[in-house]
Order: sequence, then C-alpha cells, then structure tokens
Amino acid sequence: MIRYRQMGFVLAAFLLLVVARDAWAGPPTEQLKGSIDRVIQILDDPALKSDGRVRERRAAVRKVANDIFDFGETGRRSLARHWAARTPQEQEEFVELFADLLERSYISKIELYGGEKIQYAREQTDGDFAIVYTKIMAKQGQEVPADYRMLRRGDRWLVYDIVIEGVSLISNYRTQFNKIIQTSSYGELVKKMKTKQEEFLEEEAKGRGSAKN
Amino acid sequence: MHRSALDLGVGFFVIVGILAFGWLSVKLGRVEFLAGQGYVVTADFPSVGGLKPGSTVEIAGVEIGRVEGISLVEYQARIRMRIRNDVKLQEDSIASIKTKGLIGERYVRINPGGSDRLIPPNGRLREVEAPVDFEELLSKYIFGKV
Repeated sequence: MIRYRQMGFVLAAFLLLVVARDAWAGPPTEQLKGSIDRVIQILDDPALKSDGRVRERRAAVRKVANDIFDFGETGRRSLARHWAARTPQEQEEFVELFADLLERSYISKIELYGGEKIQYAREQTDGDFAIVYTKIMAKQGQEVPADYRMLRRGDRWLVYDIVIEGVSLISNYRTQFNKIIQTSSYGELVKKMKTKQEEFLEEEAKGRGSAKN
Repeated sequence: MHRSALDLGVGFFVIVGILAFGWLSVKLGRVEFLAGQGYVVTADFPSVGGLKPGSTVEIAGVEIGRVEGISLVEYQARIRMRIRNDVKLQEDSIASIKTKGLIGERYVRINPGGSDRLIPPNGRLREVEAPVDFEELLSKYIFGKV
C-alpha cells in the first residue's frame, strides 16, 4: 500500500518535472520573452500611440529595458580597458550617459515596430552566461538574427550584449570609445555624450512644441 | 691549387643557395620552429567561412598569434588559437573574424576587454562575432522582398 503511494508520488513528481521542462524554455528565454512581450504590448497600446504621448511611451519602454538590461555591465564592457582607470563616480556617470545614448539610438528604431514576429530559436547556457538566439521575422520575409547575451544576477537573467546579424553592440561601442579616448581623452568622450544628450532633449522639446501648435 | 680555390668558391655559393632556399621555404610555408610556444585559447563561432589554420590573430593590426586548428563541435566551428605568451587576453575580449580589405584573406581580430580576469591557457573566449556574409546579406535584401 505504502509502496504504491510512494510510486504514485514519484510518478507525479516525474510528470510535473517533464511538464515543467516543456513549458519553460529555460529561465533566460522566459525572462527575455517576458520583457520583449511587454515592450510590444506598450508599442501596440492604442492609448499610447498618439504623437502627444511619445514621452510617456518612451518612458514605459525605458522602464522595461531597465529591468532586463544590465547597463552597468554593458557600459563596463564597452569602456573595456579604460573602465578601471575611472573613479566610481565617473563610472556611475558614464553608465547613465551610456544608457541614454542607447535609448536615443534605438528608441526611434523600436518605434518603427510594425508587428514583426519574434522567434525564439534556442538557448545556450554556460554557468552564469547564456545566449538566447532569436529571429526577427520581417513582413517581407527577411529573417534578421538577433542574439541576446545574458548574465545571471541572483535569479534574474540580464542582457548585457545584443548581436544583430553577427555584429555585437559592445564591440561596436568599444571600438568607438577606444578611438575617442586614444585620440583625445576620456573627458572629451563624456563631453561629446553630454552635448548629444542635450541636443536630443532640445529637439524632443521642440518636436513636442510644434506638435501642440 | 688554383682549381681547388674555384671549387671552394662554387661549394660556398651552393651552400649559401641551399640555406637561402631553406629560409625561403620556412618563411613561405609559415613553418614555426618554435611551435608549442605561447598558450592556446579556443573560441566557438557559428561559422568561420574562409578562415584557415595559419591565419593570423591580431590586436590593433598587430599579429599576436595564429590559428592552429579548426574543428566542428556540435555543428559549430571551434578554432584553436596559439597566442604569444606576453599578450594577456581579458575574459571579456571579443573575437571577430574579419576580412582584409573587401575580398582579402580572413583573420581573427581581438578587441581587448577590461575585465581583471584573464583567459587562462586552454581557456575559452566566450564573446565572438561571426563573419558577416556579404552574399547572404545581399541575397536577403535582393530576394527577400516578395
């Protein structure tokens, strides 16, 4: 009698495990998909689609991005050899500027989103590192591969690099930052990033002003 | 007496010629007498199209090693690189396969990282960028549109 109950328990546990494994594609994919779905939801939200609410929409997207992105890690890796030479305050300031820069560069592209399907092809984990391979299926039939490189922080998986069509985001910025720092200085780089951000904010304010008129 | 001086001269030139020939074949064949020097680092790429054993590994355009071998592991290409001992690679260095010029030979470019952890001998370079396949890109944008 007891043996039957034990067997039943083991069987149930086993079934649960199999079902659970099927349902989860693995925590990295799961968490990434959750965030991407949330962004798509925000972009598809008809209430946020009007021009007057661009700011609100962008803020919402940024919030999701902050949850899944490890901007600190991306910034550290992009600055590479020059990171260690910075004081903690400089590092903090840099990460903030860098996050703004990424937002500026990509938010307008994200807003072009027009219902492309995203396919989660596979996932590869190696200790605290994972790569989630996805494909963005454009309407014309092109497939653009986008790989998300993720890092485990506690029970959260955070993205630190995106490789689109074989080109890494960190590699791109690392080369550019290195060039600027080598030919002028770190101060120059920060100055450049700051002026760009100010220009962007000004333009945004102007855009909003003209939309109201 | 006179003859043997001539013979000596000819012999000397033949020996010099053979040495020069030997040097040339070592240079052209990229034979490394000091093979086994330096340490090995591996990296997995989705594709290495055009890379060959003997291709160079560079940082900032300076050769720091050679590709020793390429093998297929789980349908991915695993390359073994032998890196000079005096060059340390940070754990977050990025390896990319690049082309010299538009249609030149392929080589591995390493973009050094900033981590204080170094890749140990026989370690793995985790961050890689696959070569951009221009034909594939072209066909995608030529034939992609329906």
